[in-house]
This record gives sequence, structure tokens and C-alpha cells, in this order.
Amino acid sequence: MRLQSLMLACVFYMVFQGIALASEQKEDPTEASVRSIAQSLRCAVCQNQSVYESNSDLAKDMLGVIRTKVAKGETEGAIRDYFFQRYGDYIYLEPTTHGGNSMLWIGPFVALLVGGVALLSALKKWRRSPQAPSVPVKTDAFHQRLKEEMEKMDA
Amino acid sequence: MSNLWKTSLLAAVVAILGLFALGLNNDPRNIPSPLIGRLATPFSAPALDNGPPISLESLRGRWVLVNFWGSWCGSCRLEHPYLMQLATMTRNRPDFVMIGVDFKDTRSGAQQFLQTLGDPGYRQVFDPDQHIAIDWGVYGAPETYLLDPAGTIRYKQVGPLFNGWFEKIALPLMEKKT
Repeated sequence: MRLQSLMLACVFYMVFQGIALASEQKEDPTEASVRSIAQSLRCAVCQNQSVYESNSDLAKDMLGVIRTKVAKGETEGAIRDYFFQRYGDYIYLEPTTHGGNSMLWIGPFVALLVGGVALLSALKKWRRSPQAPSVPVKTDAFHQRLKEEMEKMDA
Repeated sequence: MSNLWKTSLLAAVVAILGLFALGLNNDPRNIPSPLIGRLATPFSAPALDNGPPISLESLRGRWVLVNFWGSWCGSCRLEHPYLMQLATMTRNRPDFVMIGVDFKDTRSGAQQFLQTLGDPGYRQVFDPDQHIAIDWGVYGAPETYLLDPAGTIRYKQVGPLFNGWFEKIALPLMEKKT
């Protein structure tokens, strides 16, 4: 019994030691930049996956192209731009915020502002309207006319 | 005031419906090419038939049709008869030349494809790791580019060329320029 628990402890120790070792292992710095580029690019045939995650042949070959370019010393921006030049806006998983796209970012706030101003002015108008003098004048005229007509009939 | 309200509300509704209509016609699988109107990336690459390398620059001065295909691609099979027909039809035109780029393929696979379905007779580039294809912004097969004599990309056809494609798409572009 004691021997068994000792063995179990040994096994646990080895497993955790292994995990600790694995997580300590340093990644090649060029691979880190390959990964960061590939994760920001959208796979052209699988819509919602990045080039890094996708298993499609195209994505794998794109990864190869990225790797060669990183090895050649090209900057991240230049490599991202290389794909942007060829595949357009589509290729970025996170779309750019400049150019025509900025409208999508600013538009909702502009709409909110316009709506808010409109609502405010409408509220102001509704609050004012109960004391508007035009309504009593109308009824006065109506009553006046009624009175006159009644008097005419009486006469 | 009330009229202004009504018209602005109507305008907003129409604008939103218009945007919806635009969105409905948008095929999310079709990636518009930013390369139209730009110079095609030149290449000098091995030929499928092991002949001398094929260079794009050497074709300058003519309209060039570049067809990306692979023996693994089903639509390329459908397209092939038209490519054969187009090659025969344009053989005597001095201002027009066709080449193929066989990508992500094996030599034997591609050669077998051409043996079974017929060889259109123009030169074929062999691009096994699709470096040329990626360089040209290709994401599927078949895809076809039409280059003007200066080497500028004038048109991109995603998916197979259809019967009458040359007359309908290529000729108008060519006649406008030359």
C-alpha cells in the first residue's frame, strides 16, 4: 500500500515536471513573428479562420510564404501589406479603420447624435404643446358660434 | 416641421433598405481583386513540360490570358473544352496569347489531365507550391487574368470561363485599347 502511493506520487511528479519543462521551452523568435502575422490574416477559402489556424492548402502555403519572408528579414508591416496588395480588405481578420471603412466606425455615433438631438427637440415640443393657446381660442370661437346660433333659433 | 420629419424618416428607411439590397447582392465568397489596373507581378518559372522556363515579360506587347488551374479542380475540367476552343480560335491573332499556370499540382497529375482532356497547345507554367498563385492573389481554381500589352491586369475571372467569354469580355477591352 505504501509502495503504491509512493509510486503514484512519483508518477505525478514526473508528469508535472514534464508540463513545467514543456511550458518553459522558448519559441524561436522568428516563429513568433510568423505566428503574429499569420493570425492577423484571414484564410481566403475558409472565411472565419486565420491563416495560422487553417488547415487548407492555400493557408499552409501562405504560411510558407510568410515564413520565407520573415526569414529574409522583411518587416511585419511589409508582409501584411504584401497580402493586402493582392487580396484587398478581405485578407485582414480585423479590418482597417481608415478610408471608407472609417464610416462604419464613426457612422453609428453620428446616427446616435442625430437621433439624440431629434429626440430632444421633439420632447421639448411635446412639453410645450399643452399650453399652446390656439386650442382654447378655437373652442371659444366654437362656443361663441354655438351661442349665437342658439340665440338666433330662440329669436 | 412635421414635413421635414416625414421626409427625413422616409430617407432613412430608403437608405437602410438600399444598403440591405446592396448587401444581398454581395457574394461573401467572391473576393474582389485589388489588382485590376495594376501591373501584374512578373515571373520566370519552370514549364510543365520541362521545356525552357516561361517568363511573363517575354510576352509583353500582346494581350495575355493567364489561366490558373490544377488537375485536382473539378471546375477546370468543365472549363477545359472552352480553353481548347479559345486556343484554336485565337491561334492566328498576333495580338493575343494564352498561357496556363498549373498550381498546387503534380507533374504527372497535370500531364494526365492534358492527355485525357486534350492539350490546348499553349505553354504551361508549373507552380507546385503555388507561390505564383499567391503572388497573383489567387484563392481558388480556375481563375483567369487578362493582361494588356503593357502588362497591366485588366480583368479577372473567378471561376470557369464560359462560352462566348472572349467576345463578351475580352474583345471589348482589347478593342477599346488597341
